[in-house]
Amino acid sequence: MAVPTLEQRTTVPPVVNAASVTKVYTRGSEPGRFGRLIGRSEPATVEAVSDVSLTIRPGEIVGLAGPSGSGKSTLLHLLAGLEVPTEGAVQYQDTDLASLSNRRRTRLRLEEIGIVFQQFHLLDSLSARANVALPLVELGVGRRKRRQRASELLERVGLGDRISHRPGELSGGEQQRVAIARALVTDPTLVVADEPTGELDTETGRRVLEEFTRVAEDRAVVLASHDRETLAIADRIVRLQDGTIVDSADA
Amino acid sequence: MSEIGRWVRRWIARIRTAGAITFTQLRHQKLRLGLAIIGISLAVLAMTLLVGTGVGVIETGEQQFDTADRDLWMTAGETRLTPTGGGGFQNTLYDSRSVSENVSQHDGVRNAVPLAFQTVYVTTEDKEEFRTFVGSGTPASGSSVQVIDGESFGGDPHYAGGTYDGERTGEVLIDRETAQRLDVEIGDTLYVGGSYAAARENEVTVVGISPTFEQMLGAPTVVMPLSELHQATGSTQTEPATFITITLEDDADLDAVQRDLQAQYPEYEIRSNQEQLEAVLQEQVLVLAAGFTLVVLAIGAGIALTVNLLALVIYQQRHAFAVLRAQGLSSSLLVLSVVGQGLAIGVIGGLLGGLLTPPSVSLLNRMTVAVVGFDGLVQLEPRLIAGSIVLAIAIGTVAAAIAGWRISRTPPLEYL
Repeated sequence: MAVPTLEQRTTVPPVVNAASVTKVYTRGSEPGRFGRLIGRSEPATVEAVSDVSLTIRPGEIVGLAGPSGSGKSTLLHLLAGLEVPTEGAVQYQDTDLASLSNRRRTRLRLEEIGIVFQQFHLLDSLSARANVALPLVELGVGRRKRRQRASELLERVGLGDRISHRPGELSGGEQQRVAIARALVTDPTLVVADEPTGELDTETGRRVLEEFTRVAEDRAVVLASHDRETLAIADRIVRLQDGTIVDSADA
Repeated sequence: MSEIGRWVRRWIARIRTAGAITFTQLRHQKLRLGLAIIGISLAVLAMTLLVGTGVGVIETGEQQFDTADRDLWMTAGETRLTPTGGGGFQNTLYDSRSVSENVSQHDGVRNAVPLAFQTVYVTTEDKEEFRTFVGSGTPASGSSVQVIDGESFGGDPHYAGGTYDGERTGEVLIDRETAQRLDVEIGDTLYVGGSYAAARENEVTVVGISPTFEQMLGAPTVVMPLSELHQATGSTQTEPATFITITLEDDADLDAVQRDLQAQYPEYEIRSNQEQLEAVLQEQVLVLAAGFTLVVLAIGAGIALTVNLLALVIYQQRHAFAVLRAQGLSSSLLVLSVVGQGLAIGVIGGLLGGLLTPPSVSLLNRMTVAVVGFDGLVQLEPRLIAGSIVLAIAIGTVAAAIAGWRISRTPPLEYL
């Protein structure tokens, strides 16, 4: 599938849209009535993301760049519905994520969003195929279909001969590819990845990035990274600093 | 497919997957699983053995009272085990001869016999090494003192109506344990007394082997006529006894006689067999409390061990669980897999503990026969074993539920 042009992309409805999003974290607990009475001060707050707007469309790879603490991961979590903004709104297609109950947001993640973390975090007692197939259990997919789908995805990420191996028997790159397969197994519309090559050597990282390029053919991908090579696969790079967007440009 | 059908299908898939995760986790963590199962088995064993001992003590006590073939027991105050010497009870009922004589006159009473248990020193013919035994004194050997080898001693003629001028029989019965310890047999000479000096002067002959009082007290005994025991221990003036045992006429009303005697002798306790056993057990409240505490501790330790183990399993898998929850998996699948592990540990540990109980009971019983003389003191109760297995399963499930609750409470991003 050919990569859509900028003009083509802007006419397609967005997969996810963040509008004037701010996320404030509180350090420690509220003092409470008694705490205030004895002079306990209000807890410190940190504005991790401040008034950020971002639209992501299908077929687009968006890279989130910036130094540590710039708000990349927080923005990624907001886009994936793992957190809700303190101010502003994140809309997944036509749904405001903050308006959903915790359970419905979890369900939406299961059906629509694939998440890849820097560390692979696979269940070490299960085979690669069983790890990949786990999210399908929640969708009520039958055993045979689960195994078939998981095997297909492992084949697709180049691990067709490793489906019965446990995580401990796989290299770091192979484990990350299993994690990517797990994120894709429900056929999500949006894939978010937080430093997906952070734990990998250059060669393995390159192979994992190739997977993301393939993945992006029919869905939106958001990558948070400060690795230049990782960001090089993005169609657009959004730079963040101190929680705000300082630059957004096509790569 | 209807919504309900989808829901059922989803839950079946969840349960099956949780089962698969449980199975692979247990296979993957063999050492940890083994240790947890051993812990639960030991908790089950502790429960079955301790409760089995409690049941056994009560049943053995009942048997001993039944074997004694008495209807009522008269005591003065508490029937305490003596803290010194070789065992037995304290003798707190004084002037036992005259009291029992009076009781014997009561309507419905066939006879009333004082029984005394006093610590005595015993040596053999070399008079060098003294050993401590329980000296049991009874006025007549009669049918209530079983003799399994040799013959019984010939009554209590030395008492002679309270003058202690009658002829001494100079005969004693001993049990097998006493015979073995002293290395004597029927026909051999012993020296018995309340002090070393008294023992050296009091020569007796072993005329028979009797297990009656050894089984009653759980300690090796030397049985002799009551008057000769009082003489040997220098207590003819007070004639102390532990009990006066009362046998009723066949047609007598036990409750009525007990009431009458209690009214006539308010300074003494008149108890039936069951009441006397309960009174003895109540005196051992500390021992009973200690046993109960051990059972509670065993259960508590089992729960703590399993919770700890499952918490460790969850801690090790916390990142993987967090990713799966972030990915949209409900916590119920993960909780189910943890509950499955707790259940498996409980079932296997419970069954293993149940299987180990019969040989452990047998071993303990052999030890108790050797140490205290009672046979079958630890009882094997099938209902108790079944109950302990159920409890082990409950321990595993409760522990898993606690651990699982922790998973569902933890926000996924906390570990990512």
